[in-house]
Amino acid sequence: MSDHTSKQFDAEMEAIRSGVLTMGGLVERQLARAIDALGEDEDTRLIDTVAADEQTINQLQVTMDQQCAQIIARRQPTAVDLRMILTVSKIVNDLERIGDEVKKVAYKAAGIRGNEPLTRMRYFDVGRMATGAQSMLHKTLDAFARLDVGSAAEVVDDDDQIDLAFNAIMRQLISFMMEDPRTISAALETVFIAKSIERIGDHAKNIAESVVQVVKGTDVRHASAEQIRAEVASE
Amino acid sequence: MNHVFRRGLVAPTVATVATLVAWAMAGAEWALLVLAVFAAAIIAFHLWHIRMVTEWATSPLDTLPPRGRGTWAATFSAIYRRVRLRSNYQRDLRAMIQRFRKAAEAIPDGVVVIDEANRIEWANPRASEQLGLHLDRDRGHPIVNLVRQPEFLRYLEIGDYAESVIVETFRGGARRALSLQLVPYGVSEKLLLSRDVTQLEAVARMRRDFIANVSHELKTPLTVVSGFVETMQDLDLDDRQRDRYLGLMADQTRNMRRLVNDLLTLSSLESEHSSVADERFDIAPLLLEVSADARSLSAGMHEIALEIAEPASVVGSREELASAFSNLVSNAIRYTPADGKVTLRWSIDAEGRGVFGVTDTGIGIAAEHLPRLTERFYRVDRSRSRATGGTGLGLAIVKHVLIRHQADLAIESTPGEGSVFSVRLPARRVFRETADPRCTAGATVTT
Repeated sequence: MSDHTSKQFDAEMEAIRSGVLTMGGLVERQLARAIDALGEDEDTRLIDTVAADEQTINQLQVTMDQQCAQIIARRQPTAVDLRMILTVSKIVNDLERIGDEVKKVAYKAAGIRGNEPLTRMRYFDVGRMATGAQSMLHKTLDAFARLDVGSAAEVVDDDDQIDLAFNAIMRQLISFMMEDPRTISAALETVFIAKSIERIGDHAKNIAESVVQVVKGTDVRHASAEQIRAEVASE
Repeated sequence: MNHVFRRGLVAPTVATVATLVAWAMAGAEWALLVLAVFAAAIIAFHLWHIRMVTEWATSPLDTLPPRGRGTWAATFSAIYRRVRLRSNYQRDLRAMIQRFRKAAEAIPDGVVVIDEANRIEWANPRASEQLGLHLDRDRGHPIVNLVRQPEFLRYLEIGDYAESVIVETFRGGARRALSLQLVPYGVSEKLLLSRDVTQLEAVARMRRDFIANVSHELKTPLTVVSGFVETMQDLDLDDRQRDRYLGLMADQTRNMRRLVNDLLTLSSLESEHSSVADERFDIAPLLLEVSADARSLSAGMHEIALEIAEPASVVGSREELASAFSNLVSNAIRYTPADGKVTLRWSIDAEGRGVFGVTDTGIGIAAEHLPRLTERFYRVDRSRSRATGGTGLGLAIVKHVLIRHQADLAIESTPGEGSVFSVRLPARRVFRETADPRCTAGATVTT
């Protein structure tokens, strides 16, 4: 960011940005483990570590919020700095929510083991959707680290893919449930898993929009992907 | 006298002589005029050169100085020599840095140079690829913003760089394991070395899984046996019950013995570095033995056919191939319901390879299981496999035997319809002539 007369202020701004990314790294690891739990690995310790990560993420959220409040109170930041701080506190919220959703995925994954037709679906379709959300999260955090609006706009596009995958999974589950009522309970759990993954995609998209906002200074929430691309392209 | 002074005195001397001549010939006024003209010319000459020097000094570095005249020639050529010397020296230095950078780029591991504030200064292409960095864009960014893995952050924080740290990355949906190590150098700079250890991690995980699996497979029958032993110790049983329990215990110990035997076979196949015993033997008697074993295992529940399209002799280890073939056949029988058909077929294909195929009308295998089928203890359906008395090692043994014979295994399967397992022995191990003349006739045996 820009140079301030106070080196200390620079360091504080840098610290909250790195704080967001530290938190993001934790959420990424947590998501990777939840995906493992979706897979064949029948390691129940995975769920414990996901839950432990969730605790750490919650604590980080509190710390980050305090840091942001302190900078606002002590430095009275303006313009781009104020925008950055407000954005950071928004992104921190999104990350915390992703952490919650990941925990749900991991717990529910343990609940649907052993239901043969759904097991296969869990590995392939739900797993692929989760991997998609994972790469979205990674890309959006990279975009924040580099303040790169171009890849932030790509993330917004990727979210449409996740939504499509979600719809496809829903259709499949409905046909499973109609064919064999014994799959209903596991299918419902799978619905919740898919929904959580879809929410993760939404939060990743929110983060991407925040990146556009901090760089461009315009609010692109609720804008279409085309509008965002146009905004990113404009100087 | 100094060269500069010598050259520098020429013009004033000429001026003085000219002034004196003018004085003698045309008087004092003319002499003064001549002196003034000469003085002006000399001053103009020197001012012009001073301007040239100033212009050169303010031009970009490495600009060569212009050529000077008269007194200035020596000065300018001296400057010229220094500039040339310096730029040659710099060129060499640049070439050397280039060479080092090229070398750093060529290192098969990733290298990132980070400064005292942990900012990225430089990265070689391998590191950029492994860590997802883009050097022109990411130079000056804190490394922790882009390599965010909590394990790495903790490693950096603790500051003990003697060991490396393993982190996971996901590049294009593929999971990779990276070993990262920081190496401090200079005053407070660090090198971050990254190495892809996905393969090593996979091997380590396989070993862990293998030990866990073996222990589990041995524990199950052992639990049953020890349960019966305790029952027999604690309770007074009549003879009928006692016999029943002893029978069940015998079954379990048989399972354990089979597992241990398979494990020993596998480990001897793996540990024998020497090439296989290259004995030459006829294939037909071996196939007859295998099909006889199959019939006794099936106990009349399946139709078992043996078709030998062309008798041949094979070079390899008879014992190992017999074990591989009978593993395939016993799998076929175990996974084929009663009244199904298992066909053993031997032929030589157009390329001269010996093909041993086992076709069954069994339950079949879904496509997604096929690539992992030869892994140890890999089971499509755990409950069924154990119920049929498999150890989970049969296909692993087959795979090892075939690798030792440079042969390959092809599996085709349709769930619900059956499977075909084909062993293809390389042409150089297969001979159309038989060693024993009695085996020349084609044979088809069906029971």
